Amino acid sequence: MSAVKPVSFTLVITGAPYVSQAPQTALSFARAAVSAGHAIDRVFLYGDGVHLASSLCCAPSDEVNWHREWSDFIAQQQIPAVACIASALRRGLVDDGEARRYERDAHNVQPPFRLLGLGEWVESMTSSSRVLYFQPGGGH
Amino acid sequence: MSVLVIVDRSPYGSWSGRESMDMALSLAAFDQPVTLLFSGVGVNWLRAGQDPASIFQKAVERNLAAAPIFGIGALLADQQSLEDFGLDASQCVTGVMPVTVEPTLLARFDDVVCL
Repeated sequence: MSAVKPVSFTLVITGAPYVSQAPQTALSFARAAVSAGHAIDRVFLYGDGVHLASSLCCAPSDEVNWHREWSDFIAQQQIPAVACIASALRRGLVDDGEARRYERDAHNVQPPFRLLGLGEWVESMTSSSRVLYFQPGGGH
Repeated sequence: MSVLVIVDRSPYGSWSGRESMDMALSLAAFDQPVTLLFSGVGVNWLRAGQDPASIFQKAVERNLAAAPIFGIGALLADQQSLEDFGLDASQCVTGVMPVTVEPTLLARFDDVVCL
């Protein structure tokens, strides 16, 4: 069998954890792609997908903490992980800087996740071999 | 690179259409060719004279009016969906182009985005 030519992917996640399967499916894909020698250029959280960036997620002890799983993976692989700032702010996802800017008394987004604009997604559209969308599904 | 962004959600029942529109506007802002296609219940975005003030939302017509100014190439509408909702061009905002959605239409674009 001939070797598969490496491909670079950007993964766009639009489904929230514990509401949809999107973050789990995307993580399974990302792990498989990396182990097959492909690159993940960027993970971009959009719409309800930004909830994956919340460090305040408290999953029951017998369930997987998808925020932690994703955080560990992107830190190990050094993959840029971006939550769309417009989607995030509307949904109460703020980092330290935005918490100060909007005078909020807490923040729930921290590295390796960052809050940035849709320009990051546009950049992926022009540079990644493939941009894949992991959506809520389930009739939504 | 040319991108088709499809809006197939109703204008006020879901935020998805607005976030699709934001994607299209961002592409245009970075000088990337982008076209919008409204289909299914999404064609209701195109109705002229919307007044959603009573449900505390801003009319999406303003977003559509801004589309050509910001460089979005065209506002396409699925002809069948327009008929399903009893809409004709005279009831729509200006600049809408009815089209038949078929594989050859989608094949004209390098990427198709549908949230």
